[in-house]
Amino acid sequence: MASLGPYPPTHWAASGKMNRLCNSMEPRVMDDDMLKLAVGEQGPREEAGQLAKQEGILFKDVLSLQLDFQNILRIDNLWQFENLRKLQLDNNLIERIEGLENLTHLVWLDLSFNNIEAIEGLDALVNLEDLSLFNNRITKIDSLDSLVKLQVLSLGNNQIGNMMNIIYLRRFKDLRTLSLSGNPIAEAEDYKMFICAYLPDLVYLDFRRIDDHMKELAEMKHQYSIDELKHRENLIQARLEDEQARREELEEHKAAFVEHLNGSFLFDSMYAEDVEGSKLTCLPGVSELLEAYKDKFVIICLNIFEYGLKQQEKRKVELDTFNECIHEAIQENQEQGKHKIAKFEEKHLLSLSAIRDESELTKLEKKIVEYSGDITELFNVLMTLEMQLVEQLEETINMFERNIVDLVGLFIENVQSLMAQCRDLENHHHEKLLEISINTLEKIAKGEFDEDLPDDVRSLFVDKDTIVNAVGASHDIHLLKIDNREDELVTRINSWCTHLVDKIHKDEITRNHKRVKEINQYIDHMQNELDNLECSDLID
Amino acid sequence: MEVLKEKVEEEEAAEREEAAERAERGEKTLRPVEVRREEAPLTQEALRDLEKKLSEILVPGKISISTKDTIDILKLPVSYQTNTPKEEHLLQVADNFSRQYSDLCPDRVPLFLHPVNECGLPKFVSTTLRPTLMPYPELYNWESCAQFVSDFLSMVPLPDPLKPIVQQQEKAPAKKYAIKPPRDLSSKFEQEQEMKQQEQIKAEEERRLREEEERLLEAEKAKIDPLHGLRVHCWVLVLSGKREVPETFFIDPFTARSYSPQDDHFLGIESLWNHKNYWVNMQDCWNCCKDLVFDLGDPVRWEYLLLGTDKPHLSTTEEEDTGMNDDEDLDNLCKDDKDKSFDMPSSWVEQIDISPEAFETRCPNGKKVIQYKRAKLEKWAPYLNSNGLVCRLTTYEDAECTKTLEIKEWYQNREDMLERKQINKVTGLNIDYFKPGHPQALRVHSYKTMQPGMDRVMEFYETARVDGLIKREETPKTMTEYYQGRSDFLSYRHINFGPRVKKLVLNSAESNPRPVVKITERFSRNPAKPADEDVAERVFLILDERIQLRYHCREDHITASKREFLRRTEVDSKGNKTIMTADMCVSFEVEPMEHTKKLLYQYEAMMQLKNEEKLSRHQAWESELEVLEILKLREEEEEAHTLTISIYDTKRNEKSKEYREAMERVMHEEHLRQVEAQLDYLAPFLAQLPPGEKLTRWQAVRLKDECLSDFKQRLIDKANLIQARFEKETQELQKKQQWYQENQVTLTTEDEDFYLSYCSQAMFRIRILEQRLNRHKELAPLKYLALEEKLYKDPRLVELLKVFA
Repeated sequence: MASLGPYPPTHWAASGKMNRLCNSMEPRVMDDDMLKLAVGEQGPREEAGQLAKQEGILFKDVLSLQLDFQNILRIDNLWQFENLRKLQLDNNLIERIEGLENLTHLVWLDLSFNNIEAIEGLDALVNLEDLSLFNNRITKIDSLDSLVKLQVLSLGNNQIGNMMNIIYLRRFKDLRTLSLSGNPIAEAEDYKMFICAYLPDLVYLDFRRIDDHMKELAEMKHQYSIDELKHRENLIQARLEDEQARREELEEHKAAFVEHLNGSFLFDSMYAEDVEGSKLTCLPGVSELLEAYKDKFVIICLNIFEYGLKQQEKRKVELDTFNECIHEAIQENQEQGKHKIAKFEEKHLLSLSAIRDESELTKLEKKIVEYSGDITELFNVLMTLEMQLVEQLEETINMFERNIVDLVGLFIENVQSLMAQCRDLENHHHEKLLEISINTLEKIAKGEFDEDLPDDVRSLFVDKDTIVNAVGASHDIHLLKIDNREDELVTRINSWCTHLVDKIHKDEITRNHKRVKEINQYIDHMQNELDNLECSDLID
Repeated sequence: MEVLKEKVEEEEAAEREEAAERAERGEKTLRPVEVRREEAPLTQEALRDLEKKLSEILVPGKISISTKDTIDILKLPVSYQTNTPKEEHLLQVADNFSRQYSDLCPDRVPLFLHPVNECGLPKFVSTTLRPTLMPYPELYNWESCAQFVSDFLSMVPLPDPLKPIVQQQEKAPAKKYAIKPPRDLSSKFEQEQEMKQQEQIKAEEERRLREEEERLLEAEKAKIDPLHGLRVHCWVLVLSGKREVPETFFIDPFTARSYSPQDDHFLGIESLWNHKNYWVNMQDCWNCCKDLVFDLGDPVRWEYLLLGTDKPHLSTTEEEDTGMNDDEDLDNLCKDDKDKSFDMPSSWVEQIDISPEAFETRCPNGKKVIQYKRAKLEKWAPYLNSNGLVCRLTTYEDAECTKTLEIKEWYQNREDMLERKQINKVTGLNIDYFKPGHPQALRVHSYKTMQPGMDRVMEFYETARVDGLIKREETPKTMTEYYQGRSDFLSYRHINFGPRVKKLVLNSAESNPRPVVKITERFSRNPAKPADEDVAERVFLILDERIQLRYHCREDHITASKREFLRRTEVDSKGNKTIMTADMCVSFEVEPMEHTKKLLYQYEAMMQLKNEEKLSRHQAWESELEVLEILKLREEEEEAHTLTISIYDTKRNEKSKEYREAMERVMHEEHLRQVEAQLDYLAPFLAQLPPGEKLTRWQAVRLKDECLSDFKQRLIDKANLIQARFEKETQELQKKQQWYQENQVTLTTEDEDFYLSYCSQAMFRIRILEQRLNRHKELAPLKYLALEEKLYKDPRLVELLKVFA
């Protein structure tokens, strides 16, 4: 029933002998010479090989590198191979996985038949699909988190002893082929069933296809524990999603500059550092007063919050409309440019062949002059188009700048007026509190106050100055908090606005530079072509 | 008025007499095809009929050409040959109405009230209509229904469009109307059906002749029509209101086209009728039919004939089902007062029955030709033509229809999926259109000649092709192919051919393809590649050994990268072949890149392009081959023009018929076998016992023994029979041998031959008999045992025999 998997262990049988052979030789260092030799040997053959020799091959152009049976002890000097897709380091003496940080394009990595003890140093290899760690000394499967595209994992002939390592592999959604034979866990009676049950998407296990019957059996056998596991996984997933959603929401609020204003956060923060204020709440009537104050305050905060979101939406619409307009204008301009160039090229081919075929010198010269005139004209046309576009865009950008500044100004103004309401509330509250405090002070002075007060509160009511200072300090803190929040909002939105406008200007300038460069480059190329033609003709 | 009435009566009398005469003689009534069709032919028919009779009376011996069809009136139902009292009464009422009408409106044309039918009997027009429900869904839709009726009608112009009218009806005839809902259009079909048998090709030819004549006539007076406004015509009016009919409109029964009452062709309405009533238009038609109000309930605008059914909107009554008639008939028994309501008698025509074949055939004989001004339309029933042709439209340059401009032909059920052919006679361009399903996925093929290598355009159903080819255009020097939906993003390939090279060695004809000079290929954008590496166009200049590449343009750029390879292999000063030099690849890069500067890169790119050039050339060659193949296939298909038959078409599908018959045969045989198997070996013995009684054990044992002994006897008899035959043969042979030995000397060679052949035959027979006997001896005990076992197991005996078993 079972068929052979895609990667039968062909060099397995030979391994013993090879290892013995290798062991008898000196460990080597992975140096430049070794790499150059390998690259040269494995490079193109025949005609292409001659060219390669002539030009030399840059390490960064190498896509595949084979370094097996080299007695390498340490992976090193690979940082230049930044485009490497396939790397074979099998049958060496490597003890640690290291030095692979730059090989981000690596798809295939073979580290089998080495002396590796732990999986590590693979974090940069996000594109890796096929990893072989066959015949090493690995005891635990981990540190593979970033290998999200992993399809084939070969871990046979290692020292993995805990079945729980399998659960770690559940996160690799593309994993289809796994080999674990020759590990202590493979001795377990339940080995196959367990893997089939916990990795239901797996197709090949230990080079054999998993048949459907086996899958069913395994699923049935481990159903209970897998369901539990799934439940846990789902919970974690849900929690992660929740957090993500919350983060996104906060980001949205931050983008509107009104984060934490949809509740009592600001109010609470006013009292968080206000020692005196909290002490005074135990005075009679203060807590009611505070409650009413808080309600009103939160309502204003909410107003600011709502308004902020609305304004953010408005700004977004404004920006989108502007971007769309700019994009359209640029597209249209590009189309025109392309059209001009296409027309020119049509003529260009004819002109070139005409010049090539022309034998009479005077006529030839005339033609060359004509053609060169055409090139100049094309240049002028393209540059005019670009200048037009620059002017158009300039105008639009200025208009947008005015609009967005106005929008921001309006927003700030309104927020400030709302903040002023907060301050009014605070002042009002302060007056009331002061009144109550002074009344209390008088009562205490007259000995009429009969309620229990904590000692630290009572200590405030020694004289009028103390209590007025205390209430004043609380008031100051509150006002400071409000001012801070307001300042923060205003600064941030202003800086956002300046940045936006700056960026738009800068982008436009870059675009313009690029276009002018492009035109020049093209015209230069055309001119060069003509010049070359002239030269060759003159030589003829 | 009196005079007029008398005259009419005279005519009617004459008609009746004649009809009676004919009936007596048993002569088949000569009658044109249209007699019982739509109202229009009815009118014309009536007129022609009158004219015929007149001509017969006035100029004896002259027979009208128009009456060639024969109907055996004796075979028609009684209702065709007689009028019921109620119908007679109705005719009187109609006459009365007509008298009053001509009295009131002396300037207007007498009303068209009761033309004579095929038996020469006057019948009121409304009673010729019989609403009928048909089993064909097409007939429940006015467009398709009208189309069906028009297909069925053949237009037979009057020999002289004016004469009969002027003579018989006095003055120009008025226009006539009939109001019917769409489905009623089919109600005349059955009558048509009846006459289909008689309607011969003769009539067809004659009609054509006359059409031709009339066409000539018309051509002569093309400019001014002297008969404008004088012609009589009947057509169908559909009133708005019911069945989601938003507006009143006309249907011309000959063309099945609908017209608005605003149409200028309809000059006015004299009267209109349905199967319930008859109305005379009292409105002025100075502005054609544009101002007419079709409120039939308005007695000022529409004068009704019968009071009973003057519902405000005619269509209302119309659309109720035919059962209405019966109810009204009942009412009629009670009321017969003329001043009070008098109901229309039920129709005298027979119920229609259209067979599926007739419905499919549509036109009489399955063929119909309509002559238009400078155009001719021919229609055939499906499967009538062996090449599947169902329709042909020929347009002419001149009115005489001699110079053909264009021919359009429509086909059906073709195995090669050919749907339409268009032949332009002026340019010589042929265009064939195919339905999806052609073996080569052909959609359109336009050509002037079937010779390969000439101007030709082939369009394909690209989804049915693996290569996604949409269109292939050919000229003697080029071939252009358009593709869509390919995984390599190829969208266009243009091949320029050079002049064909004359080969010195004579090869077979097809192995001399035109040399390819240039191949241009364009690719659509492959989103997986960056624009600078995604080729938009590549040109292989094969003679120049040059390859030009143009890449796609980046999103925010106006210039695109280009690269040109000179693949000419050069030899350097030392005589070594240069592999790659910098000047072999000229490139313009929008954003210069490092790796493309490398010779290795350029070399590899060029090697790949060389390969691709080979592939493209091969592709060009294959395309040419494919064209040849398609042309060959097309020729074969045209030759064979096989038609497909639906598996549901049980009549035409020979294969399924055979299969079905075979199945039936098998079933029958199976049935016979079963009957045989049920033969009861105990039956003759059971029959000897008293019926209905339960078997006793003793009886059962006896039964078994009898059965067995009987069987034994039969086996012995059989053995004896074989034995006897064997002995007889042996004896005869011996006799013959004896005879031979006695007469050996005197025998002729012939006799001897005869004797020898007899001997060998006899020996053969003896041997066979011997074998049979031996076999029988061998098998007989086995058979005996088998029967015994069977008897022990027989459900009727098993219980009783158990003990002995």
